[in-house]
Amino acid sequence: MSNDPTSRQGAIDAGDRLLAAHEFDDPFAAAFKATRMPMLITDPRQEDNPIIFCNSAFSRLTGYGIHELIGRNCRFLQGPETDRASIAKIREAIAVEEDVSVDILNYRKDGSSFWNALFISPVRDKSGEVIYFFASQLDFTTVKSREAELARARHFAEEAVAERTKELTDALRAQTLLVHEVDHRVKNNLLTIASITKLHARMSNNDTVRKTLRSVLNRVEALSTVQRKMFTADDVTRFDVADFANELVADLVGSLKRSDIRFTADLHPVHVPAEKASPLALIVNELVGDAVRRGLADGGGEIHLEVRRLNGHFLIRVADTVSPVPVDPEDHAFGQVMLDTCARQVGAQIERSVEGHRTDVRVTLMVGEKAE
Amino acid sequence: MRILIVEDEALLALELEFEIEAAGHEVVAQAPSYTAAIDVIDRDEPEFAFVDIHLLDGPRGVDVGYYLSQRQIPYVFVSGNVRRIPEDFAGALGAIEKPYTMNGLQNALSYIDDLIKGAPTTAPPPSLVLAPDKRP
Repeated sequence: MSNDPTSRQGAIDAGDRLLAAHEFDDPFAAAFKATRMPMLITDPRQEDNPIIFCNSAFSRLTGYGIHELIGRNCRFLQGPETDRASIAKIREAIAVEEDVSVDILNYRKDGSSFWNALFISPVRDKSGEVIYFFASQLDFTTVKSREAELARARHFAEEAVAERTKELTDALRAQTLLVHEVDHRVKNNLLTIASITKLHARMSNNDTVRKTLRSVLNRVEALSTVQRKMFTADDVTRFDVADFANELVADLVGSLKRSDIRFTADLHPVHVPAEKASPLALIVNELVGDAVRRGLADGGGEIHLEVRRLNGHFLIRVADTVSPVPVDPEDHAFGQVMLDTCARQVGAQIERSVEGHRTDVRVTLMVGEKAE
Repeated sequence: MRILIVEDEALLALELEFEIEAAGHEVVAQAPSYTAAIDVIDRDEPEFAFVDIHLLDGPRGVDVGYYLSQRQIPYVFVSGNVRRIPEDFAGALGAIEKPYTMNGLQNALSYIDDLIKGAPTTAPPPSLVLAPDKRP
């Protein structure tokens, strides 16, 4: 800033000379004075490149009277928060006499700040020498503060999202741990129940007790297999009946250790919701168990297993050819109750046909869209 | 074979022992923890082992597996948590997933027996998940 009265007077004189060079009715001068855009002119040939002329719009923008502005270098508009790099850019452009456009934080007379979209351009005479600098200002504080507000809002939103994500990740981790823990306990308990039953059967000398305990064990193990298959799959809410049925029959046939059993299968994955897994598994278990009791265990034979979709239905079919042996009526009745009850639970239809030594059982049920 | 059972659930270990003995083998010991298992391995030099993963001193069954593997003692994991088994099965022949069934266990036992004696003639039973390098 130049407060020296002589240099200030020099700036006033330079401004007067400039005005004198333009007639009162010069439309360019009139436009300069009247426009709502703050504008000013500085004189680089005077010491410290002072303002020699500015319009009322500039006076309104900065809060200074025109007489307070003339004779001062524009740097007095800078303040504590003004970016040093922006100032350097302006200085550099003036030194090399080039146009410059800078967004800079400036300060008014009352100390308040505003964002100034500043444009400075050198004005040359005929010989090419720079005789003035012309500068226009545009207050874009509202735009800038909206930007800042948006940036702040985005920052808060991002923080909130990060925090929420962390909470959810933690909750999911806790949940997963819990599910694994519960799964582990359920599996261990099922195996413990099976072990207790087997242990008792092993220690009993009574055939009926042993047979009864093995009958219970057989059903408990069907449920154990459901639990194992359910959590081995990636999607714990679905259960593949075909996969279960295949394992059940393969393990059964393997353990009977008979070379005269022919096991054939026509299996296609049929996924059912978790809540239908146990009754369907028990249905398969009863159908296979029935074939075993009727003669497969005693005299071998053929067993055919089919699990697939059929015209919007879901079909489980067990067909066997065995040399019939007498079946314990109690075993048969119990198996029948298990089968009927589980079928009722899932709304399945059971058709049974017997031709000679061949028994063919078809279990069909509607599978809803969601049960796909 | 002289077999070690590494299992922290006493009832499961007892039942497994009966099944193993019914299949014609001798159970040298039941070890409920990593430390107990290491002691038995050093002292009794079993020929085979069944190894649970969750033990009394933590999920250290895999460490027991590595120890057996170093001593070239074949073994299988018996666990409800097969996801914890390393991809290379830590040198195990395979894994029997809990809760196994009586049929499943017996089929797995006879397949393992065949595998140790030489090449098995049957396909592996569904109850036995073989290690990648043991798959036919």
